[in-house]
Amino acid sequence: MSLARYVAVRLLLVVPTVLILYTIVFIVMRVLPGDPVQAALGVHYVPPEELEELRAKLGLDKPLYVQYFEYLAGLLRGDLGESMVFQGRSVWEDIKDKFPATLELTLAAFTVSVIIGFVTGSIAAVKGGLVDRAMRVYGIIAYTMFIPWLGLMLIYIFSVELKLLPSGGRIDPRFIPRDVTGLYIVDSIITGDLRALASALEHLVLPALTLGIVLSGAYTRIVRVHLAEALRSEYSIAYRARGLRESKVLAHALRNSMVPVVTLMGLQLALLLGGAVLTETTFSWPGLGSFLVERVMYRDYTAVQGAVVVFAVIVSLTSIIVDVVYALIDPRIRY
Amino acid sequence: MSLPRSRLVLAAVVIIILILIGVGYTLLSGQVLGGERIVVIGTTDKITELDPATSYDFFTWEVLSNVMAGLVKYDPETGRIVGDLAESWEVSEDGLVWTFKLKSNAAFPDGTPCTAFDFVRSINRVMTIQGDPSWLVTEFVESVEAPDEYTVVIRLKKPVSFFLAVLATPPYFIVHPNYPDDKAEPDATYGGCGPYRIVEFKRDEYIILEPNPYYPGEKPKNDRVIIRFYKNSEALRAALEAGEIDVAWRTLNPEDIESLRQKGFNVIEVPGNFIRYIVVKVDQPPLDNKKIRQALAAAIDRNEIAERVFKGTVEPLYSMVPSTLWSHEPVFKSMYGDGNIELAVKLLREVGISEANKLRVVLWYTPTHYGDTEAALAAVIKEQWERTGLIEVELRNAEWGTYVDLLSQGKMMLSLLGWYPDYLDPDNFLTPFLLSTANKWTGTGYVNPEVDRLLQEAQAVTDEATRERLYREVQRILAEDVPYIPLVQGKLFVVVSDRVVNLEVSPLQFLIYSSIEVSG
Amino acid sequence: MEGGLFSRLMGVVAGLVRGPGGLMTATGLAIITMFALVAIAAPWIAPYPPDVRPPGAGLLEPPSLRHPFGTNDLGYDVFSRIVWGARVVLKVVLLSSLMSMAVGVPLGLISGYYGGPLDRLLSMVMDSLYAFPGIIMAIAVASVLGPSTFNAAVALMVVYVPTYYRMTRARVLELKNEPFIEALQAMGAPGWVILVRHILPNAAPTILVVFGLASADAILTEAGLSFFGLVAVYPQPDWGLDLYYGKNYLLDGAWWLVFFPGASILLLALGFALLGEGLSERFRVRGGSYG
Repeated sequence: MSLARYVAVRLLLVVPTVLILYTIVFIVMRVLPGDPVQAALGVHYVPPEELEELRAKLGLDKPLYVQYFEYLAGLLRGDLGESMVFQGRSVWEDIKDKFPATLELTLAAFTVSVIIGFVTGSIAAVKGGLVDRAMRVYGIIAYTMFIPWLGLMLIYIFSVELKLLPSGGRIDPRFIPRDVTGLYIVDSIITGDLRALASALEHLVLPALTLGIVLSGAYTRIVRVHLAEALRSEYSIAYRARGLRESKVLAHALRNSMVPVVTLMGLQLALLLGGAVLTETTFSWPGLGSFLVERVMYRDYTAVQGAVVVFAVIVSLTSIIVDVVYALIDPRIRY
Repeated sequence: MSLPRSRLVLAAVVIIILILIGVGYTLLSGQVLGGERIVVIGTTDKITELDPATSYDFFTWEVLSNVMAGLVKYDPETGRIVGDLAESWEVSEDGLVWTFKLKSNAAFPDGTPCTAFDFVRSINRVMTIQGDPSWLVTEFVESVEAPDEYTVVIRLKKPVSFFLAVLATPPYFIVHPNYPDDKAEPDATYGGCGPYRIVEFKRDEYIILEPNPYYPGEKPKNDRVIIRFYKNSEALRAALEAGEIDVAWRTLNPEDIESLRQKGFNVIEVPGNFIRYIVVKVDQPPLDNKKIRQALAAAIDRNEIAERVFKGTVEPLYSMVPSTLWSHEPVFKSMYGDGNIELAVKLLREVGISEANKLRVVLWYTPTHYGDTEAALAAVIKEQWERTGLIEVELRNAEWGTYVDLLSQGKMMLSLLGWYPDYLDPDNFLTPFLLSTANKWTGTGYVNPEVDRLLQEAQAVTDEATRERLYREVQRILAEDVPYIPLVQGKLFVVVSDRVVNLEVSPLQFLIYSSIEVSG
Repeated sequence: MEGGLFSRLMGVVAGLVRGPGGLMTATGLAIITMFALVAIAAPWIAPYPPDVRPPGAGLLEPPSLRHPFGTNDLGYDVFSRIVWGARVVLKVVLLSSLMSMAVGVPLGLISGYYGGPLDRLLSMVMDSLYAFPGIIMAIAVASVLGPSTFNAAVALMVVYVPTYYRMTRARVLELKNEPFIEALQAMGAPGWVILVRHILPNAAPTILVVFGLASADAILTEAGLSFFGLVAVYPQPDWGLDLYYGKNYLLDGAWWLVFFPGASILLLALGFALLGEGLSERFRVRGGSYG
């Protein structure tokens, strides 16, 4: 099978995946009490007839299966519906607003985790012995750290005690750059707004570090194992025998251990997005994760369904991209 | 790809980032925003729907009352109702027909004149859309007309003693002609003819306001207001300490207020009309027994709650009518006192409760609406009731959506709730809770014909002394029957940086943006 | 009989501890045992009740001899709350792991052994769930069910059934091609006999490894749920929830309200992770996405 054909098949498979997750979420959200209309009204007095009217306006009076298929039909047209709590708000608009924040955070955290993973993993593989053991322990501990705890401890050290970095938010509100991509770092560079860039960067450091450290454990371990293997392998021995400098040997070995790392990137995606939810909450980061948690609490059915669908699409598409990258860097793989 | 080169790239990236941060910092510290008088306000509240026809929450109403205007408003100094867009008004003998003369120089930010026709259209719009707050119009108003450009005639369904207070609420605000007649616009930024116009609104992140040049009232004391939305109080506090905002508004954690004061921030205390209370389900055992309800009321120690849970940021409340409002009578203090375990034990023993046969109650709270102190509040009330040695309290919680659902269905034995007034009148603190035709939403199941009669009488008479007498009578019955246990009354706190030299809050506890003055 | 079972169990443990990865297994088991003992003996270990202000206790007292982990904003003793809180997390995680296993393993066995359309459908559902961020699904389920230990366990089950299912199924596919299974099939042994008597015992080490690693992960997910108030109702002691309420006082320097609950979560998760790692080394099983 050619790569193009493979990608096409994978793209088709996104549909059932999204459908399955939508169905699960639909069922879960509608099982038990809790009502978006009441949640929106709060404790103000509204006569019961008016409540019924509001429900009807949102389509909540229809049988469940009708609601299920109506929303599904909307999805096929690319319509995520309107919020049930904030009347008239398009869910797509909300998600579009929050997405750049999450993307910025996850990209930064991803970069941090890969860098830490490679550095620690290489040190472990090259030095061996006690250092190797220490890095191995690091790999396990990093993975078992509870994100809000790590985040808050970093806040305590860097914001409360040292007063070096801000403890939350995405940027100083006075310096929000002109909106181009929604990614503050990119926007501030494009518009040449240095104040905005500095502010965005200093707000990004702690959240990215928190999520990055927790995710780095897995990279440390995989780099460590595969690099050590590669360094012991026959071709490394052959390189050394030919008098190649050790740094060159290491470079070759690193390149050969890239394949499992890329695989891991795909597998870590769910952890990255899940971790983003906790990181965003800890650092008051206005992204998709905290949006989703908030709307779950409001019973905003359409918003939650919409966000889950978007998450599912992101996960599926990214895993396809990872597979393609995988195929490109590993010439042995043919589809 | 070889390692040294990639290392080089990495090093270069790090160095570039460091340089950029350095440059940024110098710019940051060296440059004070010159010329413009910008005020940055931080809040943990959100804007729900920027449309007076559908929004029905404290903070959105605050924003609306800064960007829109109605016929009348509260004077922040005296607390009385004064004209806003209306110049003068008169009311007919029978109290049914109100006639208002409008100012002729008011206009929307784009220069379109603001006329009586716009008012009529806005009110009809509220009645058509039938959003959550529309009852504030439909309950009282029969019809509105505009005989000419600057005259409004409002006909009421019945004489209402507090109509002007109702008229000051956002559903009576004039909206820009761009708002459609029959559809709510939750994100529209057209605004009204208030002191400000909306420059930009990014949901959950910020809203930017600038003065409306055509507002006939006093000119704002600043050139630009940025309101920044924070996820929680820690973030809000951190932003204030970092100098990102000038004004920290609702809601900081109670303990933050004191530590910010110590750090040299200016804390402005605003007496609040926000009340907290327990809703008691009176039509089901065991709480259908009046003595048990009275025992629960007696065991509550409001001073301990104010100190331990709210760190002194609230005041004990002994009636549903807050102490800041006329006709307030501290009925629960005179009848039960505070933490009166002795009385509680006596009452409980009288109905056969003993150590072997304890009273089991369930107290509900919601962790998602009243801030993080709510769990602490519930925990302390549990401790207080269990001090009798005769009560066993089970705590349960539900997120806000479920909570209000359970509330209106009367599924909670005891539940913690709060109330912000829609309009400032004792009526708004008694009728929605005690009038048997209006209190269904609380699920208490409380019906008392005597109370119904007193409340209806008070609504119709205009003589304030008579009304006061009636409301005091109602409060005495409230303490006797205990369908609610008032707990505390909120004070509001605005914490400001030393840049802020002036700031005013309206009697409804809305921040008046135009009053905020900054130096430097 | 009792003694016999116990000594046999000790024998198995001794075997695990001695083999490769034994140090990790031993450390992991020691940590888990310690927390289990703390949970069981909570009434005797905790110096104060967890939800009543002890006489004389100040609000937000830093750690001292009287209150080794300090006191919280209402004056409750943090150490006592940590001790009692161990019960909640262990209950939820063990319950959810057992339930996930009870659902995931049989499904994996059947799906892997018989194949066919059912296998394809199940695989697709499980893969979709598996690829989806677990904490998000758990939050959605738990918030609908409401806060309670059982509901939290159900929410975690939704997340971890796919893990057990996938690992079991993969192991079955390997075993199916082993000569001895093929021989049994040729002899006409019924499918369920082969599954229960021959495949399941051979898949057991894999399941055990997954138990360790998935439980470590489940502790973190549980902490996330409890951080969002979806496990216990305050003032019931619960690590994640205490951490959530404690964070409000961090800016005032009350680090102990955050540090101790979080450190407990880390230590317990580490215990399970070490157990899983040690076992995977012992049995040469790879732990899926855990490396």
